[in-house]
Amino acid sequence: MAATAMMTGAPTAHRPRTVSRMNPANAVTASRFLTLPLLWWAIVHGHHQYATLFILVCGLLDKLDGLVARIFDCRSAFGELFDAITDGICYGVGLILVAAYGWAPVVPVVFVLGLGALNTGLRFVYIRRAGRAINYKSYAMERIVAYTGYLIGFATAGMQVAYFYWAFVPTMLVVVLHDAKRMLIDPVPATVPATVPAAGDPARAYS
Amino acid sequence: MTELPVGAFKLLLSLITGVVAAVWAIHDLVLIARLRGAERRDPLVRDQRFGYAMGIVIGVIGIVGTLRFNGVL
Repeated sequence: MAATAMMTGAPTAHRPRTVSRMNPANAVTASRFLTLPLLWWAIVHGHHQYATLFILVCGLLDKLDGLVARIFDCRSAFGELFDAITDGICYGVGLILVAAYGWAPVVPVVFVLGLGALNTGLRFVYIRRAGRAINYKSYAMERIVAYTGYLIGFATAGMQVAYFYWAFVPTMLVVVLHDAKRMLIDPVPATVPATVPAAGDPARAYS
Repeated sequence: MTELPVGAFKLLLSLITGVVAAVWAIHDLVLIARLRGAERRDPLVRDQRFGYAMGIVIGVIGIVGTLRFNGVL
């Protein structure tokens, strides 16, 4: 039919491909939640190396879901949002755990969680402005999220904890301010832009 | 449960952090260099440029942290 349409020059109807929410990529994303009780157990029992391993697995699964989405061709707007929400929950809980058990300084953790909550709120404002489920694509925030995963690892491993945490606060503040301007002031694109991150981008999240 | 010796764990942390941070910084440096000829007013290009710049900053923070961890700085 499409071939006929091409030959005759008649326009073809382009229907958006529907992707089930129960797909392999979202399953990988959801599996990240399984690392949280293990992380909690390791922190409670003072197992620094195991805690580091579990947060490392959580971070690797974050990279794996993007790969799975590409292999099985099951990218979706819901998947993007689910991935962003999972990042927020996993890394938020991880930060709270390391701060609560005295493995990380409380003040920068409070700043980071506050800025993260602000950024999440801005994303909802952006969705309201757009009038559809749309994930604000921020290259800088992808890097900040990756750094947040590392932050928990620095705390569990006892690696230059104060340095990494205090260096993170101004970096995240700059990115949140930049994204706030983009989400609140700049015009919302009329259609969902084709996200074409550079090939091999190490910080690229599932998109 | 067996854990790694402290020295091996420290080396592993240094590799995971230092090498990734260095590769990340260089990678984003290359990506930002590729954007030199791109349209500056394009919001996507501006966002990419800012993101890669922040990636370089984070990479440098990681490298400095790794050097401090190993007593170099």
